[in-house]
Amino acid sequence: MPEPRWGWLIVLYLFLGGLSAGLFFVSALATYLQRGEGTAFPRLARAGALLAPWPVSLGSALLVFDLGHWYRFYKLFITFEWRSPMSIGAWLLLLFTGITLLAFWAWLPADRLGAALAKLPRRLRFLRWIDRSWREGLRRPLAMVGFPVAVGVGIYTGVLLGAVQARPFWNTNLVAQMFLFSALSTGCALLILVLSLRRAGLEAGEARLLFSLDIVWILLELFVVLPYIIHGALSPLAVQEALRLILGGPFTWAFWGWFFTLGLLLPLGLELWELRPVLLARQELHPGRGMAAAAAVLVLFGGLMLRYVFVFAGQVSAFQ
Amino acid sequence: MRKRLGLNSTRWALAFDTRKCINCKACVVACKAENGVPMGKFRNRINEERGGHYPHLRASFEPEQCHHCGSPSCVRVCPTGASYQREDGLVLVRTEDCIGCGYCIIACPYDARFFNPETRVVDKCTMCAHRVDAGREPACVETCPSRVRTFGNLDDPASELRRLLDSRRAYVKKPQTGNDPQGWYLV
Repeated sequence: MPEPRWGWLIVLYLFLGGLSAGLFFVSALATYLQRGEGTAFPRLARAGALLAPWPVSLGSALLVFDLGHWYRFYKLFITFEWRSPMSIGAWLLLLFTGITLLAFWAWLPADRLGAALAKLPRRLRFLRWIDRSWREGLRRPLAMVGFPVAVGVGIYTGVLLGAVQARPFWNTNLVAQMFLFSALSTGCALLILVLSLRRAGLEAGEARLLFSLDIVWILLELFVVLPYIIHGALSPLAVQEALRLILGGPFTWAFWGWFFTLGLLLPLGLELWELRPVLLARQELHPGRGMAAAAAVLVLFGGLMLRYVFVFAGQVSAFQ
Repeated sequence: MRKRLGLNSTRWALAFDTRKCINCKACVVACKAENGVPMGKFRNRINEERGGHYPHLRASFEPEQCHHCGSPSCVRVCPTGASYQREDGLVLVRTEDCIGCGYCIIACPYDARFFNPETRVVDKCTMCAHRVDAGREPACVETCPSRVRTFGNLDDPASELRRLLDSRRAYVKKPQTGNDPQGWYLV
């Protein structure tokens, strides 16, 4: 391949799409977790739902502007090509964005929404329609419907790359799992970041849930990345050669330095350290704001680097 | 389908006798002139390989373009159906349906597709479908001074292409990608 056809816009889109999938997943999970009569983590569920639509919307916009003719994007939605991961993905994205927007609406705080609508000029009064009391009833159904769609969006970004036989660096189903776990992890990390930067900070229970989830996802990601390397090294020559791009080749630093060490191992260590009172003794967790934020930023950075390495290295790899 | 029914069928393909290639690039120029390919972009190319140690040296030239595969991955990944394959095997692009996402460019194992900066959609060898449909040969075939290229119908036992492939050994490039390429390189 003379020059990479897919550049940073695609890297960013894959990252942002995954980020929204992760945000929605955590939000939906938090919607379902109960403590007594109510939702156990209403703040998490709300923050996730309020954030989820925006990264994926921005990412989709980037995708559209990466096209040769941006205004032809509608052609994606007048066909369905079931063998094309991009066609499946486009429909999934549309569905997912719709669900996240509905969830956003369902989770808008009633008092603030009411206050904001009251301030509207007369001409925009019709917008008051959106303040419906039955909004809250939609939260659980949306979470239920959204779960598989969010997982679908998270995994499809990897399938998009993995389903290309011509590029041995991508052509394994492990890329799909890697991208999914990375997506869930980055969504979790953004919630950690946002909540730890708010004045109230992270509550002990929220921190415990988010750190536990993120640790599980980072570990799963780790145990997909390592088999990817091992499996690749034991694969036919073309795959071994592709793998050399990150084993001594031009993407070695980006992969092992930026993604693997800074974006995967270090945040894993930080989060385990934060969680140690719970892990080692049955003590109360006192989440540190700085540590949590640092771990979250590293996870987000790692997620971006993972996409960067895969998008660029994959396009270079080829059969000889 | 016609083939399965035992009717007269057409499967266009190209064979290359690479030992005859002198790297004059007349095929590249003819293609650009015939199809108005923009500056700096090419629908076909000649891969050069030089090696050996003095005084035993070699230079080999191997023309390459879209292989009009039997199972083209570019067509499979196209999200809008703009990339398609005709009954006669030619892999073409409906430019008005192409959104320029570039997925097919990446999915082609032969790097046979490119982004056309003028039309802002994907571009590739059409095997000069407009000429073929009018009963003529592709421009690259017609122009080749050393007769490297043989164009013809694989399903026609009387065709020159069929005769060549029946009587000489030939290989296809990168068959391991499962694309079933139909560019035949004579040994």
